[in-house]
Amino acid sequence: MRSIYLKTILIAGIVSLACTTKVSEWVLLNSLPDEYILAYYHKDPLSETVIKQNSAITGNLSSANIQFRSVLKKDIDRPYYALIYDNRLFSKYYDPRELKDLSVSPLREKIAAELMSGKLCVMLYLKTGIPEKDDPALQIIKRTIKASPFREIMPLVEINRNSVEEKHLVSMLLNVESDLKEINEPMLFGVFARFKALEPLLAKGISEENINLMIDFLTADCSCLIKDDLPGTDILCTKNWENPMPAMVNQILDENPLLVHH
Amino acid sequence: MDQDTIQYDSLENRPLPKWLTDQRDGLNQYQPEIRVMKDDRSLNTSFMITGAVILLAVAVLSIYILKKNRKNANTTPG
Repeated sequence: MRSIYLKTILIAGIVSLACTTKVSEWVLLNSLPDEYILAYYHKDPLSETVIKQNSAITGNLSSANIQFRSVLKKDIDRPYYALIYDNRLFSKYYDPRELKDLSVSPLREKIAAELMSGKLCVMLYLKTGIPEKDDPALQIIKRTIKASPFREIMPLVEINRNSVEEKHLVSMLLNVESDLKEINEPMLFGVFARFKALEPLLAKGISEENINLMIDFLTADCSCLIKDDLPGTDILCTKNWENPMPAMVNQILDENPLLVHH
Repeated sequence: MDQDTIQYDSLENRPLPKWLTDQRDGLNQYQPEIRVMKDDRSLNTSFMITGAVILLAVAVLSIYILKKNRKNANTTPG
């Protein structure tokens, strides 16, 4: 009988602790990134050359959140690779050389390192390349971050929409929502946990109020509602997410109890 | 904004992301149950049931006593 009481107290303690963990920290520690599928569509039997080619591709993608599949499909003109996430087609590649660095890039390494170091999030600013559009929004972002008590744990990273080096990352960001590719406006993605990108603020939506709501979302206690229906899209990334540094947000909240919110 | 729901005619009218509107409206937390006050009729019901029981008991006892008295009257030699 006594053991039942002990178990009840223990479970209640764990549950109460879980609810005071912040959203960004809880997702980093507990939520595995959703996997992409790289499908090779072909209508003829696979030749030795193609088998070797696919083997090389899958070797490069090991330890990323992706699976490889070969799919026999009769109604296609020529074979191609398709990058699929959550039953959504992100990209098609007819040349296997286009798949080079699909899951790695300098900026992704940098962002992943920031997240693993215990930072709250990375503010990823996707620029159009048109200064008249990019600069005013960038000023708002910088001003808002500077005024935030969490400014030290929210690094701002800029990326150009036309970047060749980061073309795969840009493509994935523009697939976070189905209409983003058609919108040539600056976008601000909150990237947190294991490279999860929130649906972005864009154009005039990049405002002080909305950026602060993004910060509030990431610093709030993790409710079961958020756990059940996590927003955002996991970005493809080769990274070992084990043993991240302790979340820095907790120290700031401990020192400033007035900032604690739900 | 949900996937595949492009329902706006200009960028100004594009819906904000759901996580943001939920955060703004405080919907990321479980909302407390809304309690609606109802009329408390339990006292009236109690009085009515008590009254009915008393009336029933009086009626049953009256009939019983009347019958008993009549029976006694019939059996008593006159």
